[in-house]
Amino acid sequence: MRVFMKSLRDNRRGWIGWTLALTAIAAMYASFYPSINNPAMADALNSFPQGLKEAFHMEDYTKPENYFAVSVFGLLVPILVAVFAISAGVKAIAGDEEAGTLDLVQAHPVSRISLALQRFSAILSALLAVAAVMCLVVIALRGPGQFTALSPGHILAICFQLALFGLLFAALAYGVGAWTGRRVYAIAAGAAVAVLGYLGDSFFTQIDGLKWTEKFSPFDWYLGGEPLKNGVQWGHAGLLVGLAVLFVALGTWRYNRRDIAV
Amino acid sequence: MADTPAIQTDALVKRYGRGGTTALKGLDLSVAMGEVFGFLGPNGAGKSTTIRILLDLIRPTSGSVRVLGVDPRSSHELRGKLGYLAGDFVVNGRQTGRELLTYLGDLRGGVPAQRIDQLASSLDLDLTKRIGSLSKGNRQKLGVVQAFMHRPPLLVLDEPTSGLDPFLQQQFVELVREAADNGQTVFMSSHVMSEVQQTCDRVGIIRAGELVTVEHIDDLRKRALRKIEVRFGADAPLLEGIAGVTDVVADGKVLRCKLSGDADALVKAVAQHHVVDLISEEPELEELFFTYYRHGEA
Repeated sequence: MRVFMKSLRDNRRGWIGWTLALTAIAAMYASFYPSINNPAMADALNSFPQGLKEAFHMEDYTKPENYFAVSVFGLLVPILVAVFAISAGVKAIAGDEEAGTLDLVQAHPVSRISLALQRFSAILSALLAVAAVMCLVVIALRGPGQFTALSPGHILAICFQLALFGLLFAALAYGVGAWTGRRVYAIAAGAAVAVLGYLGDSFFTQIDGLKWTEKFSPFDWYLGGEPLKNGVQWGHAGLLVGLAVLFVALGTWRYNRRDIAV
Repeated sequence: MADTPAIQTDALVKRYGRGGTTALKGLDLSVAMGEVFGFLGPNGAGKSTTIRILLDLIRPTSGSVRVLGVDPRSSHELRGKLGYLAGDFVVNGRQTGRELLTYLGDLRGGVPAQRIDQLASSLDLDLTKRIGSLSKGNRQKLGVVQAFMHRPPLLVLDEPTSGLDPFLQQQFVELVREAADNGQTVFMSSHVMSEVQQTCDRVGIIRAGELVTVEHIDDLRKRALRKIEVRFGADAPLLEGIAGVTDVVADGKVLRCKLSGDADALVKAVAQHHVVDLISEEPELEELFFTYYRHGEA
């Protein structure tokens, strides 16, 4: 637990900053909803080309579950959550190792596995905290933002899937970093999956023959089942958690066996 | 337990990566409990590699290693009995010294704050400052404190005084002596000969991944070359063929030479003349080490 607490403490400023920024962005988009929900805007949006609307998942934008899936939880928030998760995952082992500061702690009586898992658990708590704060703030805005049609349960569902979406990227960056000890590999792996996953869920789906890519995109596992309409998608949630567990297990296994770089 | 060596390695080999450099080529090393052992050698000889294997930071390619009778790989609890200090002590600078030491102490199951304060004040170290704002020397002091604070049975120190000024080096020597009096074992790599001479019982010299020699510091001192200067009443006689004497240079009334081992033959030879003054310098271990470093055999 000491390593876990120390991780929270060392990262408190950054993690609180991310929580506030992500929540502010979500709140900002949510408070725009009343200005979208009028006939003039609906006409304007309906005149967009069908392909573009599909790419941005913009069909019937004036309904809150659609608007929220696209704007509040659709674009900027998941991308920033992925960035946050990747940066935290990279730092846990690889960043510390390249800074030369991992040596000292591992020269203490704490096992490699315990140290690594405690640090990852700290990231998991941070992701859950981000999702929880965002969830509470969006629920609190339902009245003032005129989207009471959106049930708190569904908002909770999408925030839960957002946390798992972040967990996948944190686990990937952590796993690659713990396996290799190199920051750049961990960042590259996280960024590649984020970019390909995003394209796979949006633009590739516009190309016949590439539609299948959607099925392999973490963005689809997060939003594809429309948790704002249908609640938690347990299949997708299981996929996100399962892969995260796999990445964490592999990275930790290798970290326990390899040399720590100077 | 008394006859369990503090450190024992057998045919220890460490190769980095596939086809990479071989840092250790079959190191056989034995350090007894309670000993202060100096581990010397040029840069890249394998000192840090050995030390990092002892702490299980890296794993040997082959061979065996026992620290306090235990394979470091098998038990992380072993590291609770060790104190480790690297020459380039780096930690996250965005915390105070006290935060760091408390955390590290907690990882060891707690170290009394009083002990930390006492060590810090003896080194004149301010624990309330952020580590990032400390000078290199002060950061190294933090390293010294964290290595010594829990009074570990075995101290593993990798060039511990790099970056410390001579005054602090002297304080460090005191700490090592205190630890030795306390029955703690010290395994220390160093480039600072004065601290090795002042603290170590035995030294091992490693070169290119192999142990070249292990000797008692007193034996080394006996074999070390001494610079001798003899001032005569008249022109200096040319002395030749005297046991242990080399590099004889006569310059007017002054004779300079180098002596290794017993001084008896030289003294008896010069005694036949009028000797005004005789200066024998303290043996320079450094020079002896250099010969080992370069040639392997002195």
